[in-house]
Order: sequence, then structure tokens, then C-alpha cells
Amino acid sequence: MGTRTLHVEHLPEQRYGRRYVWQLPVRLSHWINFLSLLALFLTGLYITFPQLAPAGEPSQHFVMGRMRQIHFAAGQIFLVSFLWRVYWFWMGNNYARSGFPFVWRAAWWRDLVRQAMAYLHLRRGNVHLGHNALGGLMYTVFVIGLGWGQIFTGLALYSESNPGGFWDHLTGWVIPLFGGSFRVHMWHHLFAWGFLVFAILHIYVVLFDSHQYRNGLLSSIVSGFKFYEEGDLDHDSWVS
Amino acid sequence: MGLEATLVPRIVEAMDKKPRIPVIWLHGLECTCCSESFIRSSHPVAQDVVLNMISLDYDDTLQAAAGFQVEEIRKRIMKEYAGEYLLAVEGNAPTRDGGVYCTVGGDTFLNILVETAEKAKAVVAWGSCASNGCVQAARPNPTGAKPVKDLIPHRAVINVPGCPPIAEVMTGVLTYILTFGTLPELDRQGRPKMFYGQRIHDKCYRRPFFDAGQFVEAWDDEGARKGWCLYKMGCRGPSTYNSCSTFKWNNGVSFPIGSGHGCIGCSEENFWDNGPFYQRLSNVVVPGIESTPDQIGKTLTVLAGAGVAAHFGSYMVRRGINAAKKEKPVPSAPEKEGGDQ
Amino acid sequence: MSRRVVVDPITRIEGHLRVEAMLNDRGVIENAMSSGTMWRGIEVILQGRDPRDAWAFCERICGVCTTVHALASVRAVENAIGIKVPQNADIIRNIMFLTQMVQDHVIHFYHLHALDWVDVVSALKATPAATADLAQKVSPTWHNSSPGYFADVQGTVKKFVESGQLGIFQNAYWGHPAYKLPPEANLMAVAHYLEALRWQKEIVKIHTIFGGKNPHPNYLVGGMASAINMERLNYVRDLITDAARMVEGMYIPDLLAVASFYPEWTTIGGGLGNYMVYGDLPQNGIGDPSRFRFPGGVILNKNLGEVLPVDLTDQGQIREEIAHSWYEYPAGKEALHPWEGVTAPKYTGPKPPYKQLDENGKYTWLKAPRWKGNAMEVGPLARMLVGYASGRADFKEVVNEALGKLKVPATALFSTLGRTAARGLETRLAVNWLGAEFDHLMTNLKSGDSATADTAHWEPSTWPADCKGFGFTEAPRGSLGHWVQIHGGKIANYQIVVPSTWNASPKDGKGQHGAYEAALMGTPMADPLRPVEILRTIHSFDPCLACASH
Ligand code: HEM
Ligand code: HEM
Ligand code: NFV
Ligand code: SF4
Ligand code: SF4
Ligand code: F3S
Ligand SMILES: [Mg+2]
Repeated sequence: MGTRTLHVEHLPEQRYGRRYVWQLPVRLSHWINFLSLLALFLTGLYITFPQLAPAGEPSQHFVMGRMRQIHFAAGQIFLVSFLWRVYWFWMGNNYARSGFPFVWRAAWWRDLVRQAMAYLHLRRGNVHLGHNALGGLMYTVFVIGLGWGQIFTGLALYSESNPGGFWDHLTGWVIPLFGGSFRVHMWHHLFAWGFLVFAILHIYVVLFDSHQYRNGLLSSIVSGFKFYEEGDLDHDSWVS
Repeated sequence: MGLEATLVPRIVEAMDKKPRIPVIWLHGLECTCCSESFIRSSHPVAQDVVLNMISLDYDDTLQAAAGFQVEEIRKRIMKEYAGEYLLAVEGNAPTRDGGVYCTVGGDTFLNILVETAEKAKAVVAWGSCASNGCVQAARPNPTGAKPVKDLIPHRAVINVPGCPPIAEVMTGVLTYILTFGTLPELDRQGRPKMFYGQRIHDKCYRRPFFDAGQFVEAWDDEGARKGWCLYKMGCRGPSTYNSCSTFKWNNGVSFPIGSGHGCIGCSEENFWDNGPFYQRLSNVVVPGIESTPDQIGKTLTVLAGAGVAAHFGSYMVRRGINAAKKEKPVPSAPEKEGGDQ
Repeated sequence: MSRRVVVDPITRIEGHLRVEAMLNDRGVIENAMSSGTMWRGIEVILQGRDPRDAWAFCERICGVCTTVHALASVRAVENAIGIKVPQNADIIRNIMFLTQMVQDHVIHFYHLHALDWVDVVSALKATPAATADLAQKVSPTWHNSSPGYFADVQGTVKKFVESGQLGIFQNAYWGHPAYKLPPEANLMAVAHYLEALRWQKEIVKIHTIFGGKNPHPNYLVGGMASAINMERLNYVRDLITDAARMVEGMYIPDLLAVASFYPEWTTIGGGLGNYMVYGDLPQNGIGDPSRFRFPGGVILNKNLGEVLPVDLTDQGQIREEIAHSWYEYPAGKEALHPWEGVTAPKYTGPKPPYKQLDENGKYTWLKAPRWKGNAMEVGPLARMLVGYASGRADFKEVVNEALGKLKVPATALFSTLGRTAARGLETRLAVNWLGAEFDHLMTNLKSGDSATADTAHWEPSTWPADCKGFGFTEAPRGSLGHWVQIHGGKIANYQIVVPSTWNASPKDGKGQHGAYEAALMGTPMADPLRPVEILRTIHSFDPCLACASH
């Protein structure tokens, strides 16, 4: 088929080895994202359906206010971590860019089809050192796409409490774009579910692949290292 | 109104000296509640506006003359005061089937509106109809009703939404234009910032209950009687820009939330299609989908879960089969060679 | 030679109405067409929506009679689901209903109708002192009737006229021979035009207190969402007292004074002679018509000796026809009961801009509702006649008193002026009842009953899967009905038959005219280019075309 599949022997290293794939910024951002998204999802749902109903004077309580504060704080943290990861997309090692839909490259499409077929046929598929194209697509759609969507709608909602303020100037245009504030809130809420859907698929795929490949995938997001052997695909090569 | 107290002498002075500015007030697809609201104004009262501030030369709802005598006035003002008269539009125009769903004097309102806007000094769109389309533009918009700004795209339109707008907001907008000879500062949606700069929620007197987490759970329950927050009854205050919670209605007597019912967001674009009004989440407006974000989200979540289960299930079955047929092992290792298929 | 007079727009009404009248060679109207020239499709827009939201959509049918559609709508949905609202909710609704009626009638009299009878320009010729004398004679109890007051008003009018910018008063029919009031009466009426304009914004505060705003206060399926507190109730009491003072001290005296100058209009504009009332103002729930303050019923051919019953659920009684309306019905259907009603627009009129409509073709956006095949008039006159004919003492008292003061027989009611007078008399009843309803609310609250909503059936899961209902009220302009079908928690069909649809309806399949058209027949016109006579009769119905076509 003319696919250039570059094997590990092309690497300057030996047949079996360990490679530092996920640099610290990637791992840090991953876990900060994970924690902040968890907080955002839970407090977000709470904001829609507040359940605790304190009795007594309103001045003695701040339940809803606290949930919103947590949400906003987590939102800011997520935003920073997200922007940091975007920065690292350019500054990090090649794996920091791996899997990203380089749609103008035939190799990316081939990898995508191959990987999808592998999952469908329950075959092992290729082992990649970075992300495979399918994984990259998932991260792009769910994390980059949804992430921006959620950030912009979230910030637009946030900007409403200070009209004319910083965030209003930056993200206020989102409101008429969606057809009014209410619609922004609806989409923000809908997008939130996207993260749960992603998390389910993502965690399953990670577990499944870890089990299949036995290359230390699962622990890599903590340690940064992945194991490889001859024949594994390296990001540096398959999309170059 | 949202004008500084120090401006009042200037306003009075301006009112006394200038000849009154001619106003043509057109009525299209509408319910006339904007006119009704207008005459409820207390500061200034409608009488002062009509007798001393403006020259209301054309308004089919209040006009003494009828028929061709009225149309004659409109034509004359358009000619004699070209570039000087104010066009106020209540309601909007149907665009489907050539505009036959609203005609005046035998011509379509669509034609009349476009023609009258041509030489107007400024165009004011009263109410949600003129500003956003309002109820007749709600799905499926049987008459193709379009807001004024869409029909005269080359003209700046001051949108004064609300169903209806608050009386003092209406007279306040006019007062501003007459006093300063310019339009008030408008926001992204063409609304005067001084009246539509903030959400109902930001100035709502029930806001402490919102922050505390004290909500009305059912109509006429204990919380309702204590005046708790109406968020869980679907209140649209958090996404509605209007002056209701600041000026209140009918000279400061109350406003929807003040009388126990949530805000339905009547000054917001598309608010009719953001229902049901009594739930925090309404249906997502995407053609073909009629569910709330939660229904969609839960469905997708279940689908993802089911997909995962199916994948894992068939994987286990496959493994079982392969294990049974010892001679053909699981195609895990060989795949390495077939990397390039 | 016969000639066609076209009046479009008819002004000082709500909405878009066109009248074409065919005069014979003596200048008498011998045929007339009433055409509603706007349609928005509210019935279509309601399809598939949450029935609990319907009131808000319906309310936007009209901002002039705001609330009445909301009321009919919540009643229709409650009827379908089987909700019985708490008594306080009925009382609050009654208070809002009566507030609406009083405000709307006063506005109509002074701001929409008066200029048909009152010559503003002639008011400049009055002497303030003589005007004060007249005012004190017609209404000794009214406070604003000093010469200084009238001099001020005259000054205002003078300054306005001298500015050369006549605004809404320009190009009118001032000096037309049909204007009969002396200058003093004209000045008094102009003063009260302004007085009423100031006053109307006060009474509506009752809506603001219970419904949060006016126009378009909030309603609720199951009751009312109003939070009741004492200080607010005292405010309501004051507003009611003020309203009663204004109606008795200003409106009714003005009405009788003006009417006394136009005796010929007690013989013109009678029209159909068929009157219909659904009834309203429940004292024991909407399901008990025997305890309505406004009794329902039908009077045919001016026969006050018999009041026939009306049944909104009877498929044979209320039916809408479209022989002359821009709509389509399923093949083979000519008349439909609203539960099965269909609203499918199809314009077949001339391409705008047009000069005239075709009386033999379709010519309006209004359907033609009929009761057992008869065209009916609805509204204040119908209500006063049905109350009177039902032998109700309160109705008899106000009607007989007015007839006595004007020294005219009861048959004078079947006329343009009769219609206008009935509206005033009804307002007298309404302000009285307003006080009574308020007292009733206070009694209930004192006895510890403060429930305003029934929420047991709030959730759609508690509703029958399929149900249908009807709701009705007596709107200022007459009997209003809403019919709803609910399937699976959503509106499957929604049909609205409005008072102005009855009155302004076109001909039906049998060629029977609607009330406006019938009332115009036989009217002599002094000057066809200045159609005051058409305006008088049409205005006596208080048209609302946004309502009528919806
Ligand atoms: C930069 C990131 C974010 C910001 C600034 C932000 C901000 C906001 C704001 C202002 C609200 C409205 C709360 C209120 O007005 O009471 C909100 C609601 C909500 N947020 Fe976020 N958010 C962000 C990210 C997220 C993410 C990532 C999720 C989900 C994983 C999420 C889920 C929700 C949900 C479910 C709601 C409730 C929506 C509603 O019903 O109003 N948010 N968020
Ligand atoms: C227990 C939970 C989780 C585990 C064990 C886990 C594990 C991993 C692993 C092993 C990778 C590397 C994947 C690969 O090489 O293809 C990864 C990447 C990633 N994960 Fe997770 N993950 C978890 C939860 C989440 C959640 C909840 C999110 C977001 C909602 C998330 C977002 C991501 C993203 C965006 C990447 C790509 C990393 C990058 O390029 O920055 N993860 N995760
Ligand atoms: N016709 C009519 Fe209405 C009334 N009254 C409603 O039902 O006016 Ni707008
Ligand atoms: S904006 Fe609302 S209130 Fe005003 S005319 Fe339109 S429907 Fe009526
Ligand atoms: S009642 Fe509505 S506007 Fe007021 S605080 Fe609650 S949610 Fe906000
Ligand atoms: S419904 Fe409308 S009147 Fe004000 S409180 Fe909400 S914007
Ligand atoms: Mg109808």
C-alpha cells in the first residue's frame, strides 16, 4: 500500500526500551484538567439543580454561592491548565503534538482508518509511542473543541455579572452568537455532558490498550515513560 | 429613568424651545401592548410626551382621522420632514407570500416600513416584536415575521425589547434622543445600555435567597410565601437583560418576580422558543432534536457506556472462542508484522 | 349611482381593520365588508408546546385586552387536565378580570371612541366658566370642575393648536355637521380625555400587584403565583375606591351627557339583534355557571323574553366557517367545532397594493364563527341584555336608571349608542363587583385560607395521556373561548374564538353578515369622504383585530 511504517530499528535506540514520552507539563496539565473538570462537572450540575435547601435567614447561608465560587475557581484553573497545554503543544517534545489531526497528511488518515478498523475488528492494532490518529482525533474533538466551547460559553456566562468588564470585552460576543444568554447556558450545559462521554471512552480505551499492548500506557500519564519494542510506531516518523 | 439628575434642567430646557420632532409610529404584526405600556408612563406622563415633547403625527391606534386621510399624513411628513422625523415601529413585518399577512391601506406593511424608514432621522424598534420577532416569529413562524433590523439592514435601529418594554424605558429613550439629538449608547444587540445593561438577576431582591440556596420548590409552598428565589421554577432572570428589577413596573409598584412568578425573559431574543418556561433547562434548539441538554447528555452517556460494554463484551467472547480453538491464537502478537497491512 | 367607500386603516382601534361600504344613491350604506388585514398564526405556533406555557403565548394575542387570553388559556388547560383552582385564585382572577374591564372600557370611551362625538377644535370656543357650570350640573360629586381647571385645559389645547403641529388630531373631521356637542361639552370631554389618560395608568397597578406587570401580567395553570401581603392589599383597596369614584363621577356622567346630544344614534347601527354571552366571574368555581356574576345565554332576534343556553362543548353549537376567509379546510368540511378546528392560511385576495376587495370572494383573515348557524353579536351590550333578560336585579337597576335619564325606551339599546351606553353601564357593575371580590378575598384571608394554587397536577406525569378542554371568559369585547387538545403532555390542537372574531366576522357560507357588517347597513352618510358615521358604529363595538384574527 505504500505506507511507510517505520519500525523501531530506525530509532537510535535499541530493540526494547523505555522512552520519556509525556513531559512533566503534559502530565501536570492532564491531572489538573482531570481534577478541575471533575469539580466543574459536579458543581455545574449542582448549579442547574441545586439540591440542598438550608432553613433560616438567607444571610446565614451561601450554599449556591459557594458552589458557583468553586465552579468559577475550577474554571479558571482549567483555563490556565488548558492554555498551558496549548503552549506546550508548540514547545513540548513531538509527542505533545502527536495524533493531532494533520488532515492534509495521508499518513494521518491511514493511521486513523487502521486504528478504527483495529478497534472494530478487536485486533490489537499498532502500538504507538505518542497518540494514534484516532486518539488524537478524540482529544481534538472532545478536549480541544469541547474545551474551547466550554471555556468560551463559560466565560461569557461569567462575564454577564460584570457588563463592560474584562471578560465581557473578551467573550461577550459569544452571547448574541448563540442567540441570547439563555441559549449560551443551554449549550454550556450540553457541552458538560461531552466531558463525561469523553471520560468514559477515554478511560476505557486507556485500560483496554494498556491491557493489550502491555507497554506501560496506563502508568505513563503518571511517570511519563512508555515501553516499546521493535515495530511500534513512533510519532516522529509516521506523520513526518 | 436612567438619566442623571443633573441632566433634568437640560431636558426641560430642550423640551421648551425646540419645535416638536415629528414621529411616525407604525403598527405591524403586534398586539399593541407597547402602545398600552407607553401610555402607562409616569415620568414623563404620556400626555406630556404627546403634547409637549414630540409631534405624534401618525399612529393608527390613537389617530383621530382614518383611512386615506391618515396615509396622506404619513406621505406628507415623509416629504416635508425628510431626514428629520423619527420612525417608531411597533410590531414587525411578515415576509412570506409577499407580505400579505399584514396590510394597511391596501399595501403591505413590509413596503410601508421600508419606505418610511428610508428618510427617517432614526428608527426606534419598540418591544420584542420589532426588536427580535417576538411571538409571531416563534417556531414555526407561519408568516415569516422578521424584526425591523433585518428588514432595513442599512439603517441603525434602536432596539427597545420587552413584551412590552417598561413604560419609563420607552419614554426615557425618546427623552434621551430629544435632549441630546443623538442616539443613546447601544450594546451589541442594539439596545440602549442604560436600560438593558444588566440582568434581572443582578438586581433582583430575591438574590440573597439564590446565593443562600433557598428556592421555591412548588407554587404556593412555604418558600413561595417567604419570597424565596424562583430559579427552580424556571426563572429566566439570570439570562435576561432588562430594567424590571431596578425600575420595576407601573411606576415602581412591582415586577414579575416581585409578584411571585418567575421572569419569562420577555426582552430576550428567541425567548418564546426557550420554553418550557417553568424549567431551568429547555429544549436545545437544533432542527430535529427536541430534548433538553440533560436528556441528550444522558442519552450520549448511556450510548458511550453501551459502546464500551459491547466492545469489551465482544472482545471477551472473541478471546473465549480463540482460547477454545487452541490452534488459532488471539491475533495479538502477529499484528506487529501486519503494521502496514 | 352607488359608490364604494373604503376606510383603511380604521384608526382608534386595536389592529388592522378595513371597511368597505357600498352606498346607494341616497348615500345610505346598503352593503358592507369588514376585513381583518393581519394574521400572525398564534394557533399554529402553539402546536406541540407545553400547555402550561400557552397562557403567555395567548396573552400576546392582545395587549389592549391583556390578561383575558391568559385567563381563558389557563382555564382551558385546567379544564383538560382536571384541575380545580383554590377559591382565592378565582377571586384574584376575578379582580384582575374586572380591573381589565374597567380600564379597557374607560380607555375605549375617552381615547378611542370620544373623538367620534367630540370636536376638539370646538373646545377652543368654550368659556371655562360655562364649562364648569355644565360639569357641576352633570356631575356634582366630581372634584375637578372649577373654571380655573377648564381654563388650564383650554390653555393647553390652545398652545398645542397654535404650535401648528396637530399630531394625532390633524386631518380629522372637525367641523363635520355630524358633531353636535356645544363647545362647553367639547371642552369638558377634552379635559376628561386627559384626565382618563392619567388615571388609567393607576388602576392597572392592581395587575402589577397580583401579576407583576401591566400590560401582560403573569398567570399560572393551577391558580395564581401571587404572593399576598397586607400592605399591597391596602394599595389594591385604594385603587378600587379611586376607580369607583372615577367611573361614577366622570365616566358615566360624561357618557350620559354626550349621549343626550345624539338621540338619532339610538336608532342607527343595531345590526344583527342576536346576542351571545358565555358568562363569567365565578363565585363557586368555573364549573358552576349558576353562580356567575355575568350570566351566560343567547338572545335571538332581540327577543328579551327568552334566554337560550350556550354549550361550548356541543359540536352543533359553536362552529367556524371560512367561506369568505383566507383559510382552507379539509375537503368536504364547511364548518368546524373548535376542538376539531383547523387553521391553514391561504391568501386568495388581490396582490398588494390593491384598491378594493371582492365581496363575493374571500376577503379577510377572520374566520366566521356561528352559533347554531346564526351570526351573533357579543360584548357589553350582549351582556347587559342577557343579564337584563335573565331578570338579574343589578343589571335591571343600572339599565333602567340610564334609560330613565335619557328618556328612551329599552329598544334604544339595539343601536350604536346602545352599545356604547351598555359599555358604561357594565363598567358601573364592574367597579362595584371589584369591591365585592376584594372583600371576599379579605374574608378568606382572615379566616386563614391563603391557598392560591393547586400544584397536585403541576407535573405532566400526573396528566391523562390524552385530554381536551375548553376555557372561556367574558373579555371586554365579549365572549372569548379557547379549546385545547393535549396529547402526551403537549398541545395537539389549540383553537381560539375571539369576541372580535364574532363581531367583525365576514359573511358565512349562507351569506349571513357578521355583526359589524350588519350594523353598518342602513346608515346614512353625510359626506362619504369623511366617514364619521362608519367610525361611530364600528367603534361602538370597540374592535380588536389582533384578537380577532390572532
Ligand atoms: C473556563 C471554564 C468555565 C467557566 C468560566 C464556567 C463558568 C460557568 C458559569 C458562569 C456558569 C453559570 C453559573 C451561574 O450563573 O450560576 C456555569 C454553569 C455551568 N457549568 Fe461552567 N464554566 C466553565 C467550564 C465548565 C466545564 C468544563 C464544565 C463541565 C465539565 C462546566 C459545566 C457547567 C454546568 C453543567 C453548568 C450549569 C449550567 C446551567 O444550568 O446554568 N463548566 N459555568
Ligand atoms: C482515571 C482517569 C484517567 C486515566 C487513568 C487517564 C490516563 C491517561 C493516559 C494513560 C493518557 C495517555 C494516553 C495515550 O497515550 O493515548 C491520557 C491522555 C490524556 N487524557 Fe487521560 N486519563 C484519565 C482521565 C482523564 C480525564 C477525565 C480526562 C479529561 C476529561 C483526560 C484527558 C486526557 C487527555 C486530554 C489526554 C492527552 C494528553 C495530552 O496529550 O495532553 N484524562 N490519559
Ligand atoms: N376581541 C377581543 Fe380582545 C377583548 N376584549 C379578546 O379576547 O381585545 Ni384585544
Ligand atoms: S413586543 Fe410583545 S407586547 Fe409588544 S407588541 Fe409584541 S407581542 Fe405585544
Ligand atoms: S428570582 Fe430569578 S432573578 Fe431573582 S434571584 Fe432568583 S433566579 Fe435570580
Ligand atoms: S418576563 Fe419580562 S417583564 Fe421583566 S422580569 Fe422578565 S423581562
Ligand atoms: Mg381561531
